[in-house]
Formats: sequence, structure tokens, C-alpha cells
Amino acid sequence: MILNTFLAFITEEAEKGHEEGAGWILEHVLDHVILKLPTVLGIDLSITFHVLMIWIAAALLILVFSLGTRKVGLVSKGFGSVLESLVIFLRDDVLVPYLGDKWKRYAPYILTAFFFILTCNLLGLIPKGGTPTSNINVTATMAVLTFLIGQSAGMRKKGFVGYWKSFIPPEIPAFVVPILFFAEVMGLFTKHFALAIRLFANMIADHLIVFTFLGLIFIFKNFLVALFAVPAAAAIELLAVLIAFIQAYIFTMLSAVFIGIALSEEH
Amino acid sequence: MLFILLESSSLLSVNPGLIFWTVVTFLLLLFILQKLAWKPIISAVENREKRIQESLDRAEKMQQEAEEKLTSYQKMLEDAKKETQEILSKGRKTAEVVREEILSKSNEEARRLLEKAKKDISLEREKALADIRNLAVDLSLSAASRLVERSLTEDDQKKIVANYLKEIKIS
Repeated sequence: MILNTFLAFITEEAEKGHEEGAGWILEHVLDHVILKLPTVLGIDLSITFHVLMIWIAAALLILVFSLGTRKVGLVSKGFGSVLESLVIFLRDDVLVPYLGDKWKRYAPYILTAFFFILTCNLLGLIPKGGTPTSNINVTATMAVLTFLIGQSAGMRKKGFVGYWKSFIPPEIPAFVVPILFFAEVMGLFTKHFALAIRLFANMIADHLIVFTFLGLIFIFKNFLVALFAVPAAAAIELLAVLIAFIQAYIFTMLSAVFIGIALSEEH
Repeated sequence: MLFILLESSSLLSVNPGLIFWTVVTFLLLLFILQKLAWKPIISAVENREKRIQESLDRAEKMQQEAEEKLTSYQKMLEDAKKETQEILSKGRKTAEVVREEILSKSNEEARRLLEKAKKDISLEREKALADIRNLAVDLSLSAASRLVERSLTEDDQKKIVANYLKEIKIS
């Protein structure tokens, strides 16, 4: 009974949030059009809330890095060494271990993806902000980019036929080959699909939990519930900061792993 | 619950516009940051790492050189000490030999001088004795001649003297 009421309430509020675009916690994750633009070639170019957030993220990154990189040199200072240490961390823990000698070719994508996703994740934690990475369109686009980079890298290295051949380990019985090939190709798509879903789900989850905790106050119609709900929501928000970093790292690390697998001789 | 929520929202519905903007923004961001950040940061880091590596290598090389120099200097010092010791001992030996030589030479000289002196002394003594004897002869002769009051011939004198001397020798 209570669950049904709760679900109805959430749905209703979500609708409201969707329409009004403000005043409720779900504004952090829900998308809505803020500037209507014409549809070109079947693509509705309207600027939505998440498009705006992506632009803000990009602008922030450009601003931060243009200021920070000035302090990077033989001896880095202040904020420059913070940015630099993050880049060194990604190079030593993600790029070089998974991509080997050719890491420099993929460094721009991996580094940009990490900082872009991180900034998008963190934008959802500030008031009036929103998380573009809680939108499956954004995470799927990123996953598709990883997929395309991995496939093109593998095909460029091993040739088109050689790349697909590398899915099958040598010296296995002939009758296993079709099954194995099918499974490997399925796996190839599944892991990139999972890449998109993982980021999306993680980013929407913390907002949903906060939403749920605060929603309890309205469902019970008793302000005493707030004594429990508000601290719990605050704790979840703190956890969300950690998750923002972890998920950005996991996405980039897995991207590097997948590109590395596509480049490796066999699976 | 999640399903209802997502159904009602735009999070799971395909939005080509958002995909388009994401791709455009991300690629633009990638190119801008590549120029603005990744290239400078990575090259700065690699420069520094190269520099540090070079410094470390140089330090190691210098240390090695210093150690080599130290051992060579120590060897030289030891050699010099040995040489000094050798020179010293050789000098001492030479000095000893020279001393011995000088000593023996001077001893011999002294002995020779002593011998010569002794010889001279005995010679002088002989001479003196002969003189005394002659004088005695002369004296006795003059005394005798005074007594005899006449001069003896030379032969007589000689005979007498010889007899006299014989007597003296016997006595």
C-alpha cells in the first residue's frame, strides 16, 4: 500500500519536475528543453538542460586547464601541480598499463573523457546543476566513442580481416569457431553497452536515493521523519562525490582496457 | 519504481539532439584540451622526468668518477709513502755504509799516523842516542887528548873509539 502510494508520488513529482524544470531534487537528473531550435535532418537541435550542462562542463574544463597549465613546467606550482598529478596518475595507472607504448595516441581521448565525465558527474552535486551523465544519451555516446576508437585502432593495427580473426584463439577445434566468434562479438557489444549503463545507473542512483529519503517526509506527512531523512540524504550526497570520481575513473579505465584488448594480439 | 520514473522522464528515451551536441561538444573539447592541456602537460612532465633521469645518471657517473679518483689518489698516496720509505731506508743504508767507510778510514789513518809517529820517535831516539854517543866520544876524546897531550893519529883515534864503543855496548 505504502509502496504504491510512494510510486505514485514519485511519478507525479517526476512529471511535475519534468514540466516545471525546477523546485525538486530530480531536476539534477531530468532533462527538459530550455531553448527550442529547429529540427535538422531529423535531429532536434533544441538546447536542453543537459546540453547546457555539457557546455558548462566543457567551458569549466577549458577555463581550469587554460589557467592551470600555465603553472605547469619543469617545476609545477599550485593548481598546475594538482592537474598535472591527475594527468600523471591517469598516464601511469590507466594509459601505460593498458595501452602500452602507443599510449600517447589514445591519451587525448582517455584524458578528455575522464575530466569531462568527472566534471559532468560533479555538476549534478551543485544546486541548480544537473548531471548530463545521468542521461543515457550522453553515456551511450561516450561508450560508442570508446567502441569506435577501439575498433578502428584494432583494424588499423591488424587489418580488417586480421582484426576479426583475432577474436578466435589459435588451435581450437573448427566446430567451436562459429560459437566462439558469436560469443566474442556479443561480448564486444555487451561490454560497451555495460559501460554506458554503468555510468548512467550510478549517476542516477545517488540522486534517486536522495530523492527517496526526502520523499519519505512528504509520504509520511510528518516533519519528524526529516530528522532521519535529511542527514541520510546529506550522507548520500557525500558518497555521491566519491562515486563521481570513482565512476569517471572506472569509465576511462575500462575504455583504456577495451581499446587495449582491441589492440592486443588475441583475446 | 525506477522503470516508471525513467519512463516518465527523458533519461532513457533516445534524444538525437543531445547525442549530436554531446559528440560535437566532446570532440571540440578534446581538440581544445589537446592543444591547451594534454600536450603541454605531458611534454612538461616528460621533460622533467628526462631531466631528473639525466641528473641522476650524471650524479651516478660523477660519483663513480669520484670513487675512481679517490682510489687512484689513495694508490698514489700509498705509492708515495712506499717510495718515501724506500728512499729513507736507502738513505739510511747509504749513510751507514759511508759512516763505516769513514770510520774505518779514519781508524786506519789514526793507526798509520800512530805507527809513523812511533817510527819517527824511535828514529829520533836512535839519532839522539848516536849524537849523544858521538858527543860522548868527542868529549872523552878531548879529555883523553888533554890527558895524553898528544894527538893521536886518525887511525888510533878510530881504534880507540871503536874499542870504547864496544865497551859501552857490552856494558
